[in-house]
Amino acid sequence: MLQYLALASILFAIGIFGVLTRRNTIGILMSLELMFNAVNINLVTFNKYIGPDNLTGQIFATFVIVVAAAEAVVGLAIVLLLYRNWRGIEVDRINLMKW
Amino acid sequence: MTDQNWSILIPEIFLFIWALFIFGLDLGIKRKNPKILGYSAMAGLTITGILLAIFNGGILFKGMFQSDQLAIFFKVIFIGSAFMAVGSSFDIASEKIRHHRGEYYGLILFSTVGMMFLSSASELITLYIGMELTTIPLYVLAAFYKDDKLSVEAGLKYLIVGAFSSAILLYGLSLLYGLTGTTDIVTMKINLSLVFLSYGKIGPGLILAMIMVIAGIGFKLALVPFHMWAPDVYQGAPTPITAFLSVGSKAAGVVAFARIFVNGLIAFASDVMKPLDWGIIVAILAAAAMILGNITALRQRNIKRMLAYSSIAQIGYVMVGMVAASELGIASVGYYMFIYLFANMGAFTIATIFNDKTGSDGIISYSGLSKTSPIFAAYMSIFLLSLAGIPPLGGFAAKYLVFAAGIQAGYTWLVIVALLTSVVSLYYYANIIKTMYFSAEEPTIKIHPSFPANLVLLISVIGIILFGIFPGPILDWALESAKIFAF
Amino acid sequence: MEVEVSQLVFYLLSFVIIISAIYVVTLRNIFHSALFLILTLFAVAGIYIMLNAEFLAAVQVLIYVGAISILIIFAIMLTSQLANKQIRQSNEQVMIGIFICSGFLLASLGSIANTVWRIVEKPLPENNTLTMGKLLMNEFVLPFEIVSIVLLAALIGAVVLARKEGA
Repeated sequence: MLQYLALASILFAIGIFGVLTRRNTIGILMSLELMFNAVNINLVTFNKYIGPDNLTGQIFATFVIVVAAAEAVVGLAIVLLLYRNWRGIEVDRINLMKW
Repeated sequence: MTDQNWSILIPEIFLFIWALFIFGLDLGIKRKNPKILGYSAMAGLTITGILLAIFNGGILFKGMFQSDQLAIFFKVIFIGSAFMAVGSSFDIASEKIRHHRGEYYGLILFSTVGMMFLSSASELITLYIGMELTTIPLYVLAAFYKDDKLSVEAGLKYLIVGAFSSAILLYGLSLLYGLTGTTDIVTMKINLSLVFLSYGKIGPGLILAMIMVIAGIGFKLALVPFHMWAPDVYQGAPTPITAFLSVGSKAAGVVAFARIFVNGLIAFASDVMKPLDWGIIVAILAAAAMILGNITALRQRNIKRMLAYSSIAQIGYVMVGMVAASELGIASVGYYMFIYLFANMGAFTIATIFNDKTGSDGIISYSGLSKTSPIFAAYMSIFLLSLAGIPPLGGFAAKYLVFAAGIQAGYTWLVIVALLTSVVSLYYYANIIKTMYFSAEEPTIKIHPSFPANLVLLISVIGIILFGIFPGPILDWALESAKIFAF
Repeated sequence: MEVEVSQLVFYLLSFVIIISAIYVVTLRNIFHSALFLILTLFAVAGIYIMLNAEFLAAVQVLIYVGAISILIIFAIMLTSQLANKQIRQSNEQVMIGIFICSGFLLASLGSIANTVWRIVEKPLPENNTLTMGKLLMNEFVLPFEIVSIVLLAALIGAVVLARKEGA
């Protein structure tokens, strides 16, 4: 079981790295998807090894996928808005207010 | 499955259907009379409040939906903040939002439905989904001025931070599920004690889980050090949405925090459980929030940014009651949020009206307001003094209760920090009042808010004064709501 | 013997996931990143199958690979200047990023390894998909309904934001 958890935490760490370092907004959204996938690996692993009596973990993972899809849809709509306003989607150009 | 009382779902279902009705109404009236939309949203929220008073009490879906006193108390706060956000939106809705007015109001209602489900959830999956239903409409609403770069930037930042914090929160929740094999918070509590009793330890996995959950919810609450996004988002988003964010969505985060930590992980709130004690982590973050929020607020020249930092500090005070993790603590948190609802919504409503009239958010442009619009200057002074915690306004009783809970739980150092920073906060709140009353500059602006905005302001002022002088009823109710947790 | 095969498959999939995830976050060409994201998502679906979550693997392929990735690729084609591949894609925070993510990695790996996990040796319920369907319609019907409101809200929100007003 531990190997799966380790894989998930490596994937999560790569996702964090991407969110922190990507300049392109779509790149950030892709890194976020990696993080959600890492969480799902965790959930499915725990479902198999800790709580095999029911499928709560897999149900949770299904909901996470659905919510991630909803977030991606809104995120990409905002990316289109950004492109219309700035003609570019690099986050450090989009910085009228200081962070 | 025999005596299920399905009627307790009626308020949520009604509000959802009402939101759909508003989408349809927008198509029907073809943008002729935008006020109808706003009034119907307010009517829908009022009816939801009445329904909530009729249909409550009970548990559905094995604790996924609990209509207990805590949930009802906070649902009143959510409905109140949505009502006030809608009420202060009338002017911008008729001028700045030319398209999609129905969607604007409908999405506010959707977000409120999400908060209501979140506050009732005693189970992690429902809690998470309720939280997403709260925030996803808010991402859209923050970016609602589609041609305004500041607003789009606010939407982008809120989305990235929101999704990032969701992922962190989820990682923590997945670990909690792994440690206990369940997503039900009460069963989780039992399983954790079982593990602890049989093995004598749980291990660092629980600490990691708690830190991730604190960070995830901390981002939503804008708790230091997860607050960086708040001033930018607050400044860029449409002001009524900012107000809704700073009250409704924060109250939602507070409930989620209370459900997970004060209910599920209560056993790990004391020194006995070192190093598994979450109380000390949150206490340090609360102290940091109060210090950093108040000191940074001193330097702000923009009223929305100042209120953003002030609300970062305010959440620090709320967390003092939370770490106390006692009946008084939770009751004081509830009372604090209730007064905060009036004071913060009121202050943001004035900022909205003012910005609408002058196009400026600068504090300096408030100079001499007392001469042209004495009533609004007086209102604003009451809101700010309540936020600062001056007696006999509501903010004083709220701060007093929170501090009392903190001392009772042994966090004396934290209360001392809170007291000192309150004094600092008085300076910047009073500075605005000074600008309004004693500025030498010749005033030029006179503000005439619309009827709904006036109503919102009046409700806020009455609420602050009334519940400040007579805290009894609200406090009793808050104490009642705190009883649902077994301390 | 069978155990060793599954170990081998696991390491292969992990290798694919980690390498392509690193490409996702570092490649200069954002379009190539998106293609590697698809590869990562496929490999994660493989992990789900190894963990007896067949339904979830199917959902992963359908929603992630089929919908989200295509959406992302559309957004890239609508917004980026693909011809100009020399645009710098990462910012000045690379060192901070490495610091934070390796810090997280150490903390999480350390705490996962030292924690008491109550492992239950028991097979998952037979007929995964049927059970999931029943659970979604019985025990988890409330979150199921709420998530449909979430999707509706996201749909309306995306239309509102992405639509060009005819002025």
